[in-house]
Amino acid sequence: MSEKNKQKVEPGVCIPWEQKLKELPEISGDKELVKRIWKENDQLAYTYIWHCLLSF
Amino acid sequence: MKKNKRYNVSKNMQKLYAERLKRYVTAMRNEKPDKIPIRPFVAEFTAKYAGYTCQEVAHDYKKAFDAARKCAADFDWDAVVGNMVYVWTGLTQAIGLKYYAVPGIDVPPDTGFQYREPPEDQAFMRPDEYDQLIEDPTDFLFNVWLPRVSNDVTQMGQTSSYRSNLSFLKGGMAMMQYFSDFGPQNALLRSESGTVSAISGILKAPFDILADKLRGYIGLAMDLFERPKKVLAACEALMPHLLHVALSGADPEKNVPITIWMHRGCVPFISKNHFENLYWPTLKPIIEQIWANGHQVLFYAEGKWAAHLDAFAKLPEKSIIYHVDQDDIFEVHKILGHKFCISGGIPNFLLGYGTPQEVRDYCKKVIDGVARDGGYIMDASAIIQNDAKIENIKAMTEFTRDYGVY
Repeated sequence: MSEKNKQKVEPGVCIPWEQKLKELPEISGDKELVKRIWKENDQLAYTYIWHCLLSF
Repeated sequence: MKKNKRYNVSKNMQKLYAERLKRYVTAMRNEKPDKIPIRPFVAEFTAKYAGYTCQEVAHDYKKAFDAARKCAADFDWDAVVGNMVYVWTGLTQAIGLKYYAVPGIDVPPDTGFQYREPPEDQAFMRPDEYDQLIEDPTDFLFNVWLPRVSNDVTQMGQTSSYRSNLSFLKGGMAMMQYFSDFGPQNALLRSESGTVSAISGILKAPFDILADKLRGYIGLAMDLFERPKKVLAACEALMPHLLHVALSGADPEKNVPITIWMHRGCVPFISKNHFENLYWPTLKPIIEQIWANGHQVLFYAEGKWAAHLDAFAKLPEKSIIYHVDQDDIFEVHKILGHKFCISGGIPNFLLGYGTPQEVRDYCKKVIDGVARDGGYIMDASAIIQNDAKIENIKAMTEFTRDYGVY
């Protein structure tokens, strides 16, 4: 894959974590945990739409 | 005693599974196993054999799973797909997808599900929407494409609806349930009949998916002449996503391949020039990246790809398994056989309308011409539907088992 394949939003992502983070108040607890869970659940939505396209 | 018996069966199945996995993987690496592996892509044939209608296996995937396991238990096959019917129309109905003709609703109960491409002027992506797709494909799919392909999902900016909300909820939960159930299905194939799950992960060529589900074949054929740079840019934008989806479904053990279902990227659907400058340059890097990650790709080359075999021959050795549909399998073997495993090549019309002796004769011809040094997997040319005769599938299986010993 080359530069021309670079995406505005990378594969596996619907709403980037960086965007979601701006909507949240200061995270006093474990920020990495919040990030990981956000990304894992966001990936499910990505899987949904791309499998609608490719598999069904 | 009962416990011991179960243990013995389990041990036997473990041994059988290990033998079959070794046989299948050895052939896929273009080497010589103990016997020719048999890996038929049986779809609606499983319904016919197990006593179900096409409606039952399309709309109730648990019946499709059951039918696949019944066949795996009764035929001496090394590897199968857990559900080759694959499109669970209960799921597509939950989402409200409008492009499937569902058995028992839109087509007779014993006809397989059909994909219905819309007329050119109703394509799911309009010709002036390339930039939007290129900018952010995932956003485009959710916000433009899905509302067009679903009867239930509302367009962006319109008032949401109960049906629209339910489409996402039911569709998402149904998809998760369906995908999750493949794990237990594969485990049952292994424990009940020692059968290997044949493939893992899905890939489509950027060009093919643009033709199939977005612009339509006719629309894309026009675009190749009216806006070729946009088509190329769209294919390039799809590439990283198609790679991501393929790798996310790949076999973590790196035994069985990701499958690419190839259909309309070949001459005469497109010109050789379009293949060389658009189709192949936007697919080849994906295959190479998948191989760099340690996974093979099964080229399920539906139709005739003879014009492009030289291009495929330049891929890294063993990176693909090449499945032959309509091409001359002996010519394919001459060009690709020194680098890649070949599968298929037994004509479906013969399995549907020939006699068992004719099937045995054809299998002998293919085995003699292609499988002499290993690197061949027995299968029909195309996915086996309910027109195949049971006695012919038995003939293909039994002959290969008897004659295909190294």
